[in-house]
Amino acid sequence: MELIGSATLPAYQPAWALNDLGAIAPIVAVTVTLLIGVVADLVAPRPLRGRLVAGISTLGLLVALGTAVFRYLAGWGTGPALAYFGFATGDSFALLFEMLFATLGILTVIVASSYVRRRGFLESELHVLTLAAVIGMMVLGSATSLVTVFLGLETLSIALYVACGFNRRDRASQESAAKYLIIGGFASAFVLYGMALVYGATGSTQLGVIASRISTDNAGSPLLLLGVLLMGVGFAFKVSAAPFHMWTPDVYQGAPLPVTAFMSVGTKAAAFAMIIRVFGYGLVHLGPEWQALLAFVAATSMIVGNLMAIVQSSVKRLLAYSGIAHAGYILIGVIAGGSTGIAAVLFYLFAYLFMNFGAFAVVSTLATRDSDRDDFSDLEGLAYRSPTLGVLMTLFMLSLAGFPPLVGFFGKLFLFTAGVQAGYTWLVVIAVLASVVSVYYYFRVLVHVWTPLPEARPLPAGIRGIQGTLWLTGTFVVALGIVAAPLLQLGFSGAQPLLTAGR
Amino acid sequence: MSGILSLIWLLPAAGGVLCALLPRRLTRVAAILVAAGELVLTLIVAYSFDSSHHGYQFVEQATWVPQFNVGYHLGVDGLSVWLLVLNALIALVAVLATPARTARLSSFLGLMLLMEAGMAGVFEALDLVLFYVFWEGMLIPAYFLLWLWGEGDRPWYAALKFVLYTLAGSLLMLVGVIGEYAFSGAHTFDIATLAAHQPSPAIQFGLFFLFAIAFVVKVPVFPFHSWLPDAYLAAPTPFLLMFAGVMGKTGAYAMLRILLPLNPQPEGWWNWNAVLPVLAVLGIIWGALLALAQRDIKAVVAYSSISHMGFIVLGIFAFNAQGQQGAVLQMLNHGIIIPALFLLVAGIQARTGTRDREVLSDLAPRMPVMAGVFLIVTMAALGLPGLNSFVGEFMTLLGAWQFSPWLAVAGAIGLVLAPVYMLRLFQGLMYSRTQPAHAPEPVTKRTDIARGELALLAPLVALMFLLGLYPYLITQFLPALGQGMQVLGSRWS
Repeated sequence: MELIGSATLPAYQPAWALNDLGAIAPIVAVTVTLLIGVVADLVAPRPLRGRLVAGISTLGLLVALGTAVFRYLAGWGTGPALAYFGFATGDSFALLFEMLFATLGILTVIVASSYVRRRGFLESELHVLTLAAVIGMMVLGSATSLVTVFLGLETLSIALYVACGFNRRDRASQESAAKYLIIGGFASAFVLYGMALVYGATGSTQLGVIASRISTDNAGSPLLLLGVLLMGVGFAFKVSAAPFHMWTPDVYQGAPLPVTAFMSVGTKAAAFAMIIRVFGYGLVHLGPEWQALLAFVAATSMIVGNLMAIVQSSVKRLLAYSGIAHAGYILIGVIAGGSTGIAAVLFYLFAYLFMNFGAFAVVSTLATRDSDRDDFSDLEGLAYRSPTLGVLMTLFMLSLAGFPPLVGFFGKLFLFTAGVQAGYTWLVVIAVLASVVSVYYYFRVLVHVWTPLPEARPLPAGIRGIQGTLWLTGTFVVALGIVAAPLLQLGFSGAQPLLTAGR
Repeated sequence: MSGILSLIWLLPAAGGVLCALLPRRLTRVAAILVAAGELVLTLIVAYSFDSSHHGYQFVEQATWVPQFNVGYHLGVDGLSVWLLVLNALIALVAVLATPARTARLSSFLGLMLLMEAGMAGVFEALDLVLFYVFWEGMLIPAYFLLWLWGEGDRPWYAALKFVLYTLAGSLLMLVGVIGEYAFSGAHTFDIATLAAHQPSPAIQFGLFFLFAIAFVVKVPVFPFHSWLPDAYLAAPTPFLLMFAGVMGKTGAYAMLRILLPLNPQPEGWWNWNAVLPVLAVLGIIWGALLALAQRDIKAVVAYSSISHMGFIVLGIFAFNAQGQQGAVLQMLNHGIIIPALFLLVAGIQARTGTRDREVLSDLAPRMPVMAGVFLIVTMAALGLPGLNSFVGEFMTLLGAWQFSPWLAVAGAIGLVLAPVYMLRLFQGLMYSRTQPAHAPEPVTKRTDIARGELALLAPLVALMFLLGLYPYLITQFLPALGQGMQVLGSRWS
């Protein structure tokens, strides 16, 4: 299927609609939920609004999750599953990311619902913004054209710009939003410019077509290489990889806690979906070029992220820097590529979802009316104030540090194995040495959590609701580690559709 | 009998979680029952072990992560079977030695049992990933035990130093594990299969370094020992028994189980097989010299431990049956002697309130039984014939002599220094240093060893005699070991 510009597109047949909507069914489900949520917020009586929209959002995201799981199990994602003239797809790679984002959305809504009530924020608006961002992420996961990639990227970003500034009375939150807007716009411009150059060099925005064009034509075109470079820079901004990471700590710190938790996992996963789809699939024949670029980015991220995290005294900032480091680890899998590399990335993203979100969720229970309470001193003696939270936080930190038998260890094992097999042993050695540094600051958090308190300090009321969610996340962190094979198998099946580019 | 090895690590693991949840008054009984049950299980394995059979016994094998050929593969041979028993015995002694007034007793005992489970797993695992899981699994409880129950003014520092040292090593080992998978061409983590697929010497050179760094830190081998004095001095006694008695042995055990079989020819820019015995000898002498210089009696024992571990490493890197059999024997001997010494040190500190050698003297009249036990353990530690350490040290030095007479002679210096610091310690503590001008004061208060403490020390002292007079109990399992060992590693060229 050769499609260049609208002139060659055939007229859209209504008969295709069912197939096309089916391919993007999870996105449709979340979009419908978003619309219902907006209307419900307008018509429902004021005291009920928040809870109602939270309920609707959870339900809608559950439907989206169910749809994705169903399509996956039915085997509808094994083929290319293209839709809308090849601009989107419902293949297993997309379905896995849709499952991830739907799960993330559900967790975020539950945690945010408890959080906003304690802080006295508007509730329904935050849920609606979450849904909008989830839509953008899902679009990124299923995009097979540069145009759709950009569409998803902007949908996701704009929703998050607003969400970051959600605490209107707090200057840090405003600063966070402004910074994210400016840097995000900057990154989008890079990506767009790169896309334009790639389009200019190959004559198509569709990734499959681009891949086959590059495999047959001269791949060394300077236009193309410049495009790859610019897109690479833009993507590195989005995954918050060094040296394009400067915005991350400030934005994470200023944003309300559930938004930070959501962003830290969601934007990263979405950006990796984009990177794998564009670089690992569309530009797979330019491998040596972008692999060199990303290897540099990965190495700097791991070093900078881990070293800067040492000196932080706020959990949000610490996790921001640790997120930069984790972006570096994950990039190893992207660079390694192939089914092993992509499977390892998918595995790690799910692992990261549970352990990183879990850590943020534990911290979110400390928030009081006046602030987020994310300083180390606020964690003091958490294990004695609530043994449950203490044990869970310990699990999350140990998993982030990569201790077996937790899921974070297996994630790292698979990423590093893929890296060594692809010949990037030097990168893996850097990653390992950086991990040693990371243990220091994750254990610093634990030191505060387990330091005995001189006097009892009760936890804020109203966190009962999210204890179940926390337990679930903690269970996944343990269970997916001990029984890692099924999730890894999901990763391999997700990698399958990307291995056939231009061959 | 199948499944008994899984049970051996699962029992303390599950028991540890259970103990942590039980109320204070039940937890001690539960922990003792679990630890005793564990000892029975390991004794069953040792009793039904077939010493004529060369190779792994009680093997359990299942796939774990099929995509990367990670297997759940357990088994014991002559090398590991007695170490399993030692682990269970010392854990039982440690649990019994835990005072009932310990703060947060449930968590303490729970973590101790988890650590026991991790170490049992290390001695059983025959798959590199599984080994790594257990290897790290014993580290986390150790960290919390050392930090939250540590003595001194900054246990968190000792704990963090220990963890960072160990982790730097073990994460590099993780690269080695992956390297074995990728470069051996076998695409498996199974230790036996990997031993049959050795990569080229240049790659072995790299992999040897990655594995060795983890093991030399754990043992510790000079110059990677600086975490040890901090950690041993801060460690609470029950934990220290397991920490010093068993955990250090995991490093030496891993050298024999993984390092040498997988990388027998680590030759690149230089030959690693020639470097490690030199480091071992340096450690023997360095540890002994530092032990001589200590005032704190706990520090004397801690540094003597570095010296003794040097003998074990020297024996392993002698690349002959005597040396390596002696090393295994010495692992067990040291695992019995060091806990006994630390128990005595703790007993003296509890009675006198100090561990300062300059202050303590003339204890024998006040605690005659304690002095007697201390004398036996001291004699065992310095290698008196008839007690256990003599056999092991003799065999390691015999092996080392065949390997390189110079190294054996240098190592023997440590053997000469051991009586100096150990006897000086004993005399200084137990008798008065100067001849009193007037008649000694009558002993008004006797604070001798309590029956409970004596009961804890009795099995250890009995074993010192048993293994000293009848080492065949252990060595009958070692021919199965010695045969395979001839090929482990190459001679110093």
